[in-house]
Amino acid sequence: MRLEKCWFCSSTTYPGHGIQFVRNDAKIFRFCRSKCHKNFKMKRNPRKVKWTKAYRRVHGKDMTQDSTFEFERKRNRPERYDRNLAENVLKAIPKIDKIRVAREEKHHKNRMKGKKQKLHMEAVRELEQGISLVKAPSVLQKDPFLTLPKIKVGVSQQQQSEENHPMEE
Amino acid sequence: MGGKCPHRNVKKRRYSHKTARRTKFELKGDDMVYAQLNKPDEERAPLPLDEDLPGMGQYYCLHCDRYFSNVAVRDEHFKTKRHKKRIKQMMGPAPHTQLDADVAAGMGMPDNGPKLMSM
Repeated sequence: MRLEKCWFCSSTTYPGHGIQFVRNDAKIFRFCRSKCHKNFKMKRNPRKVKWTKAYRRVHGKDMTQDSTFEFERKRNRPERYDRNLAENVLKAIPKIDKIRVAREEKHHKNRMKGKKQKLHMEAVRELEQGISLVKAPSVLQKDPFLTLPKIKVGVSQQQQSEENHPMEE
Repeated sequence: MGGKCPHRNVKKRRYSHKTARRTKFELKGDDMVYAQLNKPDEERAPLPLDEDLPGMGQYYCLHCDRYFSNVAVRDEHFKTKRHKKRIKQMMGPAPHTQLDADVAAGMGMPDNGPKLMSM
């Protein structure tokens, strides 16, 4: 019961899922879905396909350096069983996972830090460039603000007598 | 009268010629070529004699994985645009491997345990 990672998109492949390609130099390529398998057959580079983990890692969109990654690794040398150690490891796994999730969220927040300011500056620039679409230049000279004057609309109320008439049957 | 024959497919016919089939199925993978190119010169064995290959298998382009019948044809191949593109590609970053996929998924480097004593 070993969980492998897809060669293309790096997602986890559970037993009974996906497909495996063994090349004639004995190198193994595992794929989680036919989507990844087809992309591999089309000779696409995972680092250039935006929905893969490899792309996100290369372009800094995911956390790449963290000590919590060291706990999950392929161990090519079996450990002798120790009951106390196994119990401690099982106890520590949810704690490690919680820490990893918190750090990933922190990384995402840091990455998005300058987003609001950037959007605001873009909006200001758009206003400055496009104000003439809704405000004529002659009006702009008199009133050089980037806001529009409020327009008052008169609303006439219906007469009370008409509403109270019952319908004739 | 007229109409299209349901079995004759232009796309299938276009992609079934020799060059396209070879490019798709017979070429070495990028990582195999990359490993061969980065091998030090001492380990590169001379090309074995093979009567089934053109030119006894002695005129070989490693980047494109092709055999040629003599030196002149091979040197002519070295001038082609496809070969130059291939050289540029091989001088770039290392190709993608399963290790890269594992690291991107959040796994650490593999643990190979202690080094065994040499006999």
